[in-house]
Amino acid sequence: MFTEELKAFKRLGFRHVLLQVLNFASVIASGLMIWKGLGIVTNSESPIVVVLSGSMEPAFYRGDLLFLTNPAGERYNTGDITVYKIPGADIPIVHRVLETHDVKAKKSSKVAATGAANQLLLTKGDNNYVDDIELYQGLEWLERKHIVGKVRGFLPYVGYVTIAMNDFPQLKYALLGGLGLLALIQRE
Amino acid sequence: MVLLAAIALSSFVFTADPQGDLAISSLKVVSSNARRYPNKKQDLAFVHFNITADLTPLFHWNTKQLFLYLEAEYTNAKGTKNEVVIWDRIVRRKEDAFIKFAGKNKYMFRDVSSSFKNVPPAHYSLKYNVMPYVGVLTYGEAVRTTEPIAFPPSQSRL
Repeated sequence: MFTEELKAFKRLGFRHVLLQVLNFASVIASGLMIWKGLGIVTNSESPIVVVLSGSMEPAFYRGDLLFLTNPAGERYNTGDITVYKIPGADIPIVHRVLETHDVKAKKSSKVAATGAANQLLLTKGDNNYVDDIELYQGLEWLERKHIVGKVRGFLPYVGYVTIAMNDFPQLKYALLGGLGLLALIQRE
Repeated sequence: MVLLAAIALSSFVFTADPQGDLAISSLKVVSSNARRYPNKKQDLAFVHFNITADLTPLFHWNTKQLFLYLEAEYTNAKGTKNEVVIWDRIVRRKEDAFIKFAGKNKYMFRDVSSSFKNVPPAHYSLKYNVMPYVGVLTYGEAVRTTEPIAFPPSQSRL
């Protein structure tokens, strides 16, 4: 049954296999390059995030895709929706800014005293009754260094694929396996 | 995909600049116990206000909801610039977008220095965030108090 395939494989030879592997690697590498390039342009460690919880309903539901930017010199305003990550917590949180406090920079500090650098923030999820202080794991305020980015754009549902893949790992392996197989046996 | 992009771009065509009225009817400062440290004192401000605003022009075919919030802006005695949201509302339908509200602040209004003593008067403004079905989030300001409102001296009970 497979003799035909094997024969074809032999005919194409070792070079062809190598070429396919190279193709596969270049696809992965360019994907990574686009992701990291976006990260540099937006100054955010992950410029596209998927909403994982319902704490911002009815604005954002699970599986919605958000596009972030995080310009270094720009301050955050109340009403902005931020994505933040507290050290020690593994999941970034998408919540709205409730309070901002631009602390005056100390004169001794050599860092450029733009208000953006030393801003204290308090956030709250639209669907939560209280603010996020309990989520900050002992911190009193959110600081700029905890923030991944500000939500700029919104695309509904698309991110649900990743949630589905997390919930049903079989799907992930099936998809990856299928893609890999396709890449290897495909010939131009 | 192209359709989604077209919808997202089309919302730039709709530019509305709704206006409204905002009046702060009373402002009290009360000294109470801090949230995390029960034996520390913390001033809380209680704001009563009236809002009238017609935000219906903000609703178009790519408007999923409005997030409406009332914000206090002031610089405290130490030079810290503060913006504090004291009230908000989510508007999901055009029929609900004519806002007529009288009431008091929903969220605790406190200063980082835990006291409103010697804090200069604050401005209050009603702002909105238009959230689309797809595309870019936009922000705007509907109304702002013309004169800043001073914080009264703190009282021990309401």
